[in-house]
Amino acid sequence: MEPEEISSHVLNKLLKAGADDVIVSVSKQESSQIKYSNNLINTTKTWEKIDLGIFMALKKKIVLTNIKEFSLSAADDIVNKLLKFVKSASPNSEYAGIAKGPFSYKEVENGYDKKIVSLGDKSIDYVEKAINKALESGAKRTAGVFENSVTNVSLLTSNNIKATDKGTHSYFSIRAFNSKDASGQKVGFSRILNLLDVEKLAEEAALISKQSLNPEHGKFGKFDVVFEPLPFANIIDNLGMAMSAFSVEAGLSCLKNMIGKQVANKKITIIDDGTLKNGFGSSKFDAEGVPTQKNIMVGKGILKTYLHNTSTAKRFNTKTTANAGLLSPGPTNLIVKKGSFSKQELFEQVKNGLYITNIWYTRFQNYNTGDFSTIPRDGIFMIKNGRIGQPIKGIRISENILNLLKNAAAIGNKPERVIGWEVETPVVTPAVLVKDVNITRPVD
Amino acid sequence: MFKELADFAVKYALKLGANYSEVRLESTTSNSFILKNGIAEASGFGKINGLGMRIIKNKTLGFASTNHMDKEKIKKLIQNTINTTEKASHLREEINLSEEKANKDRYRVKQKINLNDVGPEEKIRLLFDAEKELIDTKIKIPSRYLSLSDSITTEYLVNSDGTNILATVPRVCFFYLLTVEKNDKTSQRIWQYGQTGGFEFVKKWDIPSIVVNEVKALQKNLRFGVKPPKQAVDIVAAPQIVGIMVHESGGHPYEADRIIGREGAQAGESFITKEMMGTRIGSKVVNVVDDPTLENSYGFYKYDNEGVKAGRKYLIKKGIINEFLHNRETAYCMGIKSNGSSRSVNYDRESIVRMSNTFMLPGKYSEEELIEDVKLGIYMKNFMEWNIDDKRINQKYVGAESYLIKNGEIKEPVIKPVIEITTPQLYKSIDAVAKNMEYHAGNCGKGEPMQPIPVWFGGPSIRLRKIRLGN
Repeated sequence: MEPEEISSHVLNKLLKAGADDVIVSVSKQESSQIKYSNNLINTTKTWEKIDLGIFMALKKKIVLTNIKEFSLSAADDIVNKLLKFVKSASPNSEYAGIAKGPFSYKEVENGYDKKIVSLGDKSIDYVEKAINKALESGAKRTAGVFENSVTNVSLLTSNNIKATDKGTHSYFSIRAFNSKDASGQKVGFSRILNLLDVEKLAEEAALISKQSLNPEHGKFGKFDVVFEPLPFANIIDNLGMAMSAFSVEAGLSCLKNMIGKQVANKKITIIDDGTLKNGFGSSKFDAEGVPTQKNIMVGKGILKTYLHNTSTAKRFNTKTTANAGLLSPGPTNLIVKKGSFSKQELFEQVKNGLYITNIWYTRFQNYNTGDFSTIPRDGIFMIKNGRIGQPIKGIRISENILNLLKNAAAIGNKPERVIGWEVETPVVTPAVLVKDVNITRPVD
Repeated sequence: MFKELADFAVKYALKLGANYSEVRLESTTSNSFILKNGIAEASGFGKINGLGMRIIKNKTLGFASTNHMDKEKIKKLIQNTINTTEKASHLREEINLSEEKANKDRYRVKQKINLNDVGPEEKIRLLFDAEKELIDTKIKIPSRYLSLSDSITTEYLVNSDGTNILATVPRVCFFYLLTVEKNDKTSQRIWQYGQTGGFEFVKKWDIPSIVVNEVKALQKNLRFGVKPPKQAVDIVAAPQIVGIMVHESGGHPYEADRIIGREGAQAGESFITKEMMGTRIGSKVVNVVDDPTLENSYGFYKYDNEGVKAGRKYLIKKGIINEFLHNRETAYCMGIKSNGSSRSVNYDRESIVRMSNTFMLPGKYSEEELIEDVKLGIYMKNFMEWNIDDKRINQKYVGAESYLIKNGEIKEPVIKPVIEITTPQLYKSIDAVAKNMEYHAGNCGKGEPMQPIPVWFGGPSIRLRKIRLGN
């Protein structure tokens, strides 16, 4: 049976049984990954999966299910279980419904590439080229993944929405090593294979790695920091989570009661754009079937809105931003609007500071205040009088996320596309100079 | 289950020329309930039926998974996997597996109160009970997020060496995030409880008491907390802190796949090298083990995902680096046998080297005796923020519920004391270990795609001498 037929079967059965709102989604995905380390391929991986997701509201009782099994009999079992389950569920008095269709949809520009669909084991050639390029560029060892996927989604709701979408995704990461203490990492993604330059990423990772040889222990104190796009994307990804109305309600956001207030330097504008051309997180519609859109989240440092689905929007007396998540609205592609400075010009504004090329293990002391720390990894360099100098190691950024964004002093002019192990939301950001960043290190 | 399909897939891969094949079949049912600020946000359930397989041909490793349980589709998937390994063979890491006994067994973690016999109503009522008691404290708690989840997983593991294991493991988990406010200041705690077994453990936890004690301590800290001392002091770290410390810096760096660089682009490598085996990393009182066989532990298993029998691994023995965590691949690389540390979180993930339940072994003192011998110090009961670098040297733990120790007695609360320390300094500073063992639950992150895997971490209270607190 085709996904659309099963969706329609499930929807009708649930409505007949008294459900007020129903959303049925079917997602089919075929994907592959080449994982490599020490310049060799460790594993080739292939995945095929089909997911059936059902959302049901009955007298404000919300039940969700996700089933990694797909057949008419499995669907019937689920319908029966849903109806049994909902009887003993408790109502959510704050629930305010799902979007009403129909809508018209636009295809995501550069969202589907037949070359990715038919890539197969040719992905190995890309990995080989990237490893060779990194080694030619001076790296001693490399590790990373090259991942490709093809996804088909169909969505059917009780509010007159019937939609399908398809997409291809390609993601590459490389970490180059020159010693145990010297490394550089780059990541990139694309929906179109030819727009992903794995060799360029490999070369750049190798360059950082080579330059970071023989690091000294860093010092604590306040430093002006030039963040590469990769670490700044990590910070923006965390801010993106705080933008969700769900996070605001759950205590996971430093942006509570901040709409209309200054949350970043006026040089900072952040856009969430679910329609972004070649955007890794772009799609025709959100999880309710609302056509995706472009939302200014932070405009010249002022928080403009939270990310909403229909239900959270009603609670906050506003309109959905087309970011459903049926429970928790989430970002699609976060874009930091580019500025006018080349990276060199960012360095030139720093007398005594740091150039940080990656961070990891970002953890919050208090999501409500935004107090956090994170650890620079890979190449970290001193900047002296505008020039990159001595590599360092062993430091930590211990900061407040709003404070850090308020101290953003200059924005680069060359955005990069970041997603990765620690950056779940696709982020497009240039390098950013932040003043007076608090650096700590283990106490002697 | 589709056991015949799994048996078929193992044989079919061999027929197509594989030298080794292994299939892991998973069938999981799960339930989850969320209560947010007193409102039943949603209830949910899930079901997984899928198959993951590893194939080695000409020393090249391929992994494939599907939840389309159709023989013809699986045949095609195996053929594609073989083709891809052939294409990759000129650039592959040579994969060899250590020789291991082919185990055949059936086991099941018992449930005194079967999870399927407890209805959704009763499960969510426990969260409502906790919510009521939170409100009854009259403490200002602007955000209250409580969730309860359970699952029952049956795995069938079969490989071409003759391994054949069927295991059923039920799990329960309670998670909370609480925000307490006092005088315009807030404090937060996230924590989790988890075990393998039935609903009896959820009842035993006494969820209302857990959350009420938590908000009372947070409020006390906000009301009466003083700044931590600036001079070097002694620290008595309680089991929650010790647990996270040994997980991060006594467990992760001992994962052999990190040591050989296989996780380089993801969770990172390790400051430990093969050559450091047998060298001192901590004081003589430090013993750290990883043990999947603890009954009803969150990280419990009897056989790992390669079918190797699980047992206790002594990672640090009397302060000396003693053993690494291995799967069959890393064991072969280092010329030894696997110690059964291969795990995958679901059928669609490659099994890799993981921790299970990692903890410091108890010493001979009571916690009171540790405190008695401190003139000026900190008692750090639990934490919120923590992190560690990807080589596992530079780590930080920020105390949540913490107190000053003066002349051997616990005094007023301390606001956010920071331990920011290197791994050797941490383990060498431990001068006494108590015997008050506790185990705590977490989901350890590793792999790409991410595999958050259930673990326990724990230990008794320990005393660290002369530590200067961070900023």
